[in-house]
Amino acid sequence: MGRFRANLMVCAGSGCVATKSLKVKEAFEKELKKRGLENEIDVVLTGCNGFCAQGPIITVHPDEIFYEKIQVEDVPYLVEEHFVKGRPVEKFMYKEPTGKLTIPSMHEIPFFKHQVLRVLRNKGIIDPEKIEDYITRDGYLASAKAVTEMTPREIIEVVKDSGIRGRGGAGFPTGVKWESCARMVSDRKYMCCNGDEGDPGAFMDRSIMEADPHAVIEGMIIGAKAIGASKGYIYVRAEYPLAVHRLQLAIDAATEAGLLGKNILDSGFDFDLEIYQGAGAFVCGESTALMFSIEGRRGMPRLTPPRSTESGLWGKPTVLNNVETLAAIPQIILNGADWFKSLGTEKSTGTKVFSLTGAINNTGLVEVPMGMTIRQIIYDIGGGVPGARRGRKFKAVQMGGPSGGCIPESLIDTPVTFEDIQKTGAIMGSGGMVFMDNTNCMVGMAKFFLEFTTDESCGKCPPCRVGTKIMLDKLNDLAEGRGKEGDIEILEELSYDIIEGSLCGLGQSAPNPVLTTIQYFRDEYESHIKDKWCKVGVCRKLTTFFINEKVCTGCGACMRACPSKAIIGEKKKPHRIIQEVCIQCRTCYDTCRFKSIIIGPADYKGDPMALLEE
Amino acid sequence: MADDIKILVVDDEPVVIKSCKRILEAEGYNIDGASGGREAIIAMEQKPYDFVITDLKMPEVDGITLIKWIKKSRPETGVLIITGYPSQETIKDALELGIIDYVPKPFTPVVLMDVVARAIEWKQKSVPAEAKKKEEEFPPSMMAELDRMISSYRDKPGSLIPVLQRAQEIVGYLPPIVQKRISKGLNIPAAEVHGVVSFYSFFTMQPRGDHIIKVCLGTACYVKGIDEVLDKIKENLHIGVGEITEDRKFSLEAVRCLGACGLAPVMVIDHDTHSAVTPKKVMQIIDEYRTVGAKA
Ligand SMILES: Cc1cc2nc3c(=O)[nH]c(=O)nc-3n(C[C@H](O)[C@H](O)[C@H](O)COP(=O)(O)O)c2cc1C
Ligand code: SF4
Ligand code: SF4
Ligand code: SF4
Ligand code: FES
Ligand code: FES
Repeated sequence: MGRFRANLMVCAGSGCVATKSLKVKEAFEKELKKRGLENEIDVVLTGCNGFCAQGPIITVHPDEIFYEKIQVEDVPYLVEEHFVKGRPVEKFMYKEPTGKLTIPSMHEIPFFKHQVLRVLRNKGIIDPEKIEDYITRDGYLASAKAVTEMTPREIIEVVKDSGIRGRGGAGFPTGVKWESCARMVSDRKYMCCNGDEGDPGAFMDRSIMEADPHAVIEGMIIGAKAIGASKGYIYVRAEYPLAVHRLQLAIDAATEAGLLGKNILDSGFDFDLEIYQGAGAFVCGESTALMFSIEGRRGMPRLTPPRSTESGLWGKPTVLNNVETLAAIPQIILNGADWFKSLGTEKSTGTKVFSLTGAINNTGLVEVPMGMTIRQIIYDIGGGVPGARRGRKFKAVQMGGPSGGCIPESLIDTPVTFEDIQKTGAIMGSGGMVFMDNTNCMVGMAKFFLEFTTDESCGKCPPCRVGTKIMLDKLNDLAEGRGKEGDIEILEELSYDIIEGSLCGLGQSAPNPVLTTIQYFRDEYESHIKDKWCKVGVCRKLTTFFINEKVCTGCGACMRACPSKAIIGEKKKPHRIIQEVCIQCRTCYDTCRFKSIIIGPADYKGDPMALLEE
Repeated sequence: MADDIKILVVDDEPVVIKSCKRILEAEGYNIDGASGGREAIIAMEQKPYDFVITDLKMPEVDGITLIKWIKKSRPETGVLIITGYPSQETIKDALELGIIDYVPKPFTPVVLMDVVARAIEWKQKSVPAEAKKKEEEFPPSMMAELDRMISSYRDKPGSLIPVLQRAQEIVGYLPPIVQKRISKGLNIPAAEVHGVVSFYSFFTMQPRGDHIIKVCLGTACYVKGIDEVLDKIKENLHIGVGEITEDRKFSLEAVRCLGACGLAPVMVIDHDTHSAVTPKKVMQIIDEYRTVGAKA
């Protein structure tokens, strides 16, 4: 990086590419050339910075000035001001969601300030397509040490001692898994990486593979040496073409450099690595199903034992680890177990990457020490819930995807660790956090996840295949006003039947979203059943919309937005909804800035003002 | 096809048998009725049935006993149950016995037809793809490339899925004739090829439109209102998910998370990701592709 005056880092993760960052990069190169600065300012493409919603993201080093939402049209002005005149441009910098405070430096922005980057230490700093960049940052030192100086026993001891637990969902101690595979005697073993990332609403693994592919590969080499594998596969989902592309470039470069492949660094140790693209089935993230899929078969889970570490891919001992788990390994080898344990809690050591999405101001990817509370994540890092002025409030966070559960406001001070999250009924999962505010319907949420699981069930076990469908039908009944007394109990009982009778984690955890929403939001289920009232106005058949004539300013915004032309009224006079025309779409509620839309139960004929007193 | 399928409906209420008969015979299935478990067993001893649709609560020999008998003596017969959420115990028992599906009571004709059609599909998943669709003509150059690709994978273990992925890239979809070529080329039974194709949602046996619209139905996109966007597309293009417009311009597909959740709600057309899509904007975005030719 030496001979340039400054480095201009253009984010080229999937998010920013979608918001046209590659065009922005071209524009920068053209503009710099035009001004004869091409030898002074180096333009670098990086992986995801984790702040995709603000993309395209540009950072300028060494000053670490952070620019967001840069468009092609902005480029000439930015180059002129920043690089010619030396005046960083305030209007492109990050602004606080609340105040109008502008924050120029990346490290001062709350979203970044509270993070501790270990797994993501290279994000936004290196060009993931250049192996030299990775090596400059101590890349492949750990694998070199493992391959040339350490015995498998020593590697396993360090990993075990670090306390690292799998980041793919179950939280199984990685060192223990490696040890049990290392113990097996076999002519062939496999080291595999799970990049299937099926949790819909999470993109940690995608970002790691895109931003730092070599870290994943290095972790796999170390694992391979520890268990004695000579062949490995990285299983990546079909929806991640950029991750596949970067991993392939990385594998080729590492092989070329003698860091991967035959006789690594003349040590006599061989490890070949291949990418395997998934074909779109959530259940293939499950370890036995994933291995069947690599074998070219239908990805249906099988009964365990035997565990994969004894009999996995093609019947040989196999270790499967998640992307993030593997990317953390090189640092553990280099810095030692104590360094890793210095963050986190006793049973959940180190840091964890989370993706924050849904009703939160700063959506994106963050890495924090284990044990931080949900409150800190929402408010210190996530910037709170959008629309606070319109009365939007944090209601719940869904963790663990379709296998997880909803954690309510009352448990907001729960520390995020494997054991504490499990106590709430949710699971840590892979780190997806989807935030919900007081306009989200929890029955609707439960329905959403069950739709997912009924769709994705591989169909092998009847309790999972049919049971989830019965539950889904029941939830549809509730949402459409056919709910009956006793339905909640039926849902609970069915849940336990499904948990008991299913073979793999998908079925065993499918009822979790329903069970946790019943546990924490039972009143919401009851109002759907007894009062035929979806109080947040999501379930269309259980709502009637009214305008509060005392509050309405007659601004007309709702009238213009209503797709059904159901709202009438004169300017500056209270408006009114014609019930016969209203299709209960809730657009007016979302549009009104004065909180004057009232949501009542189905076919409510009484005085809308009476609803407010409740 | 449908007239080969024999179904036995078991219920102690004649009106249920009658209505099933009316609905399913109109679809071309062969329907017999039995008024109880004992009658059903007698009927099944006379001739084989593909499916039995049975009530659970019946006097004398009840549904569970009947299902147990079927599982032991006629395991090739698929079982569907009709239930109005009776006691949980019975549903639990039925699930453990391995029923294919259930019909909620009371049911509409559409629901019954749908459940039966899906049960047939489910049962056929494991048998060879007999689909004798008319063999479409493909350009010889395309077939030559297909064969070349297949032979390059011949001796690699576990190559079926990568080959199917490449084949779908070359041909656009995986009709029976393409599956057959792959089965021959890799020396894998046709039934297994078909089983894999039907298992993974990435593979399609239907031709696709010039432009492929993929709507993300992941959690982040759901929370940000993607379902309204999807409704808008369905309404305007007059197609459902997995279908293709009449003019073959667009096909509509649903995916679970594109890993761009920060930009939710997300839609991908061909290779372009569109972020923060709203019901208002969506048709305008789609219309821009109307005038553009097929993707490269
Ligand atoms: C239905 C199902 C889906 C799963 N999906 C994933 C996934 O997408 N990514 C992942 O790493 N693990 C997934 N897992 C967990 C894996 O089975 C396995 O435990 C994990 O990859 C092991 O890696 P780790 O020990 O590093 O966490 C899934 C499990 C189940 C039951
Ligand atoms: S629990 Fe569900 S997904 Fe898992 S094997 Fe059984 S049917 Fe398949
Ligand atoms: S709910 Fe929808 S249709 Fe009804 S008044 Fe409001 S915007 Fe119009
Ligand atoms: S948007 Fe709100 S304040 Fe404005 S007219 Fe509609 S109800 Fe009244
Ligand atoms: S892709 Fe640029 S910040 Fe995520
Ligand atoms: S949920 Fe839609 S991109 Fe992740």
